[in-house]
Amino acid sequence: MWFLLALHALGIVAAGLAGRASMRAALLTAGIAPAVTAAWAITELAGDGAPATARWTWVDALGLELSFLGDDLALMMTTLVSGIGALVFVYASGYFSPTAAGSVRFPTALLAFSTSMLGLVWADSIWTLFIFWELTSVTSFLLVGHKNTAPAVLDAARRALVITGGGGLVLLAGLMILGEQAGTTTLSELTPVSGTASSVAAVLVLVGAATKSAQFPFHVWLPGAMAAPTPVSAYLHSATMVKAGVLLVAALSPAFVEVDAWRSVGLAFGIVSMFWGAIGALRQRDAKLILAWGTVSQLGLLITVLALGSGKAIFAGISLLFAHALFKAALFLVVGEIDIRTGTRDIDELGSLYRSMPIATAVAVLAGASMAGVPPLLGFMAKEAAIEAALGMDGTTRVVALVAIVGGSVLTVAYTVRFLLATFGPGPTVTEVAPRRWAMTVPAVILGAAGVAGYVFAGTVTGIVGPAATESNAKSAVYELIRWPGLKTAFVISLGIVAAGVVLGLVITRRPTGAAPRPLGARTADASIDGVLAFAPRLTERVQHGSLPVYLATMGLAVWIASMPFLDELLLDHVVLWDRPVQGGLALITVAAAAAGASVRSRLGSTLALGAVGIGVSGLFVVHGAPDLALTQLVVETVIVVGFVLGLGVLGKNFPEAADAWQTIRVAIALAGGFGVTMALAMSARNPTGSAPVERITAEAVDEGGGKNLVNVILTDLRAIDTLGEVVVLATVAIGILALARARDADPDDDAVDPTTPAEVLT
Amino acid sequence: MIASRSPIVRLAVQTVTPLALLVGTYLLFAGHNRPGGGFAAGLVVGAVVTLRTVAGLQRPSHADVMVAVGMAVVVIVSFAPLLWGDSLLDQKVVEWKVPLLGKVKTGSALPFDIGVMAIVVGLIVALLDGLSTRRRTDDGPGEPELLT
Repeated sequence: MWFLLALHALGIVAAGLAGRASMRAALLTAGIAPAVTAAWAITELAGDGAPATARWTWVDALGLELSFLGDDLALMMTTLVSGIGALVFVYASGYFSPTAAGSVRFPTALLAFSTSMLGLVWADSIWTLFIFWELTSVTSFLLVGHKNTAPAVLDAARRALVITGGGGLVLLAGLMILGEQAGTTTLSELTPVSGTASSVAAVLVLVGAATKSAQFPFHVWLPGAMAAPTPVSAYLHSATMVKAGVLLVAALSPAFVEVDAWRSVGLAFGIVSMFWGAIGALRQRDAKLILAWGTVSQLGLLITVLALGSGKAIFAGISLLFAHALFKAALFLVVGEIDIRTGTRDIDELGSLYRSMPIATAVAVLAGASMAGVPPLLGFMAKEAAIEAALGMDGTTRVVALVAIVGGSVLTVAYTVRFLLATFGPGPTVTEVAPRRWAMTVPAVILGAAGVAGYVFAGTVTGIVGPAATESNAKSAVYELIRWPGLKTAFVISLGIVAAGVVLGLVITRRPTGAAPRPLGARTADASIDGVLAFAPRLTERVQHGSLPVYLATMGLAVWIASMPFLDELLLDHVVLWDRPVQGGLALITVAAAAAGASVRSRLGSTLALGAVGIGVSGLFVVHGAPDLALTQLVVETVIVVGFVLGLGVLGKNFPEAADAWQTIRVAIALAGGFGVTMALAMSARNPTGSAPVERITAEAVDEGGGKNLVNVILTDLRAIDTLGEVVVLATVAIGILALARARDADPDDDAVDPTTPAEVLT
Repeated sequence: MIASRSPIVRLAVQTVTPLALLVGTYLLFAGHNRPGGGFAAGLVVGAVVTLRTVAGLQRPSHADVMVAVGMAVVVIVSFAPLLWGDSLLDQKVVEWKVPLLGKVKTGSALPFDIGVMAIVVGLIVALLDGLSTRRRTDDGPGEPELLT
């Protein structure tokens, strides 16, 4: 598994390099890694060995790790992700002209998505799952916003990112509660949970899944995401990424089997989306949007079936997922080909394509029929299993599930009929059709034919989806996909669905279509995103207002408040005034210098007084026998005083006059802060363990550090990791200062400002 | 452009520079067994740069290079032990004989300290850079007669 991930990483780099030459070279280079991965997944599926695992622990104590597990469900998804991925890369090499812009950006982002998706389906730890979940959102954002010059496209990309990314955070919250309840962060070790907290977790996880899988009311991003190039729509927004939520519902259903909210909320999401999406699909005129709304509806069906949770339902859900990935990707690829070759996707302008594009028509009819659930195709067998699953439930659930699946399926058949008839059937003839590009046709044919092959080799498909479903529910093992069930209830229902759907579809197709409706809710989503973006800078202005006195006051008061709870622990009885009288003298000088620094009006005087404080303190260090500290303190003070003097050029000679009340408040805050720091120091000197670590450190220092200066050995060896962190902070500060200085110098407004320099101040 | 008009200041700083650099170098190498170390050495060298900047002998520049080199050295010294299976920041002590100086004992702490020093100097130079270019004044321009 590491090898495959490394191969993907290598592929991203290679595609980036090839992208400089041409789009086609980059896409075909990028396609190698998914092709190899798909081949690996198929061999793994064929073999009977133990599932592949890969694990790398980062922080053991927190259970933070990258953990992958290639179980049967993951392998099935890998086959889909990488198999369809490889086909999409080939397709895209025909879709884009060889000299298309973004030839570095697009292939690398697409392969990065493919990698993230693999990580997501392999993830066996909550943290790993979350990381890759969000990575797919980010790469999807980059791909949706491929045409980064059109504002509408950018809006759509942003909407997709905020909804799916935000949903990821909700998911994380849900997963954390679940992990806490189940006592493990390893997904494959989750045990059934129950109780209120688990219900909350179930709802949070479902909301997360609903944002990713475009369930109502979070579906608004998916139609917008159709602004992406069609290969992206086919790959991310029908076959793989939107399946992540569905996959999660399948993977977590054993853990939530005892939680009632899981099934009811899941059914609510699924059923509403199934109908809403189908109605949306019937209203659209853009062929691609019809498919997108159809995806919302189909994902609703998947969630509905999986939320039922029984062995049969899980089996049916996984079968539907498999079938949907194949036929929906095929349909998108055909629409992309139509778009490229005729220049339009409006079904009112299209028609009679069966003459000019016979192969595409055949693929679309096969895939569409599979979507509608017509035998002899894979989609038929999967839908049959879903109806059987609904029939297998009891009580209200049985009625609700059955009505929903039948109703949704009738609408599905209807929009499929409308899509096929209006695009390929009789109608206005598109005269100018560009010549066929084989790179586009072949992948679509493969995916379309997969629906037939899946029907013919039903046993093989059962061998793939059956074990995958068993990962979620052990009872799924006994079911199989049936080619021709005979006159059973489910079959009769299936025939009824197709008949009703065809009639409905014909009726709707006759009706003239109105203007393309704007996706409901998109405006609300955009408005709320704008609101958040406007609120953020205002909040920052409040918190980071830039007033130095307020910052200092905040810090002083915070130290004071933090020290308050320990007030009674502070023991004054063993306080020693001084070990040697010279300490008293130095302390007196230091305090006097501090008082002088606080009272003089001149800034320069105050600075020098502060320097005197520092030198007094370093004198105390010397008396205490800490020459290292003294030396460092002395040099620091020197540099700080010189720095202050340089800064005085900006600030002016004297402190500004302040009102008396203000002055009193400042003194009070300063005293409070000083008190807090004193308390902290007194407490740290208490040494609760009783033994000084100095002997141990001395031994270690000479032994391991090879030095006699304890302070320095601590800095460079025993606690070197602290030092490393500190110098990283220093370096970051330095870079920040340089960046600010350069930004200021580049600002033309500053030309008006008096260019006083410190040297002029000093002369 | 910073330039002091006082030849006395200039001369003094010019005289002090090599001495102070020597002290800084001493601190760097002495650090392991006596008071000193990369941080103190970096501050001394930084103080030299500050004085020279104020005296108009040089302009603060190349802060980014110093920080980058320092970071690179520190990171390499920190992570290199991982390559041969030791723990992060593991110390290697080397002892060898050098003509004139006799037996010299040093370790990988020395390059680590050099990196720290470079970062500290870089930070100070960055601060000088930030303070000394054209700036915005909020309560009027600075007072040129401050020290005269």
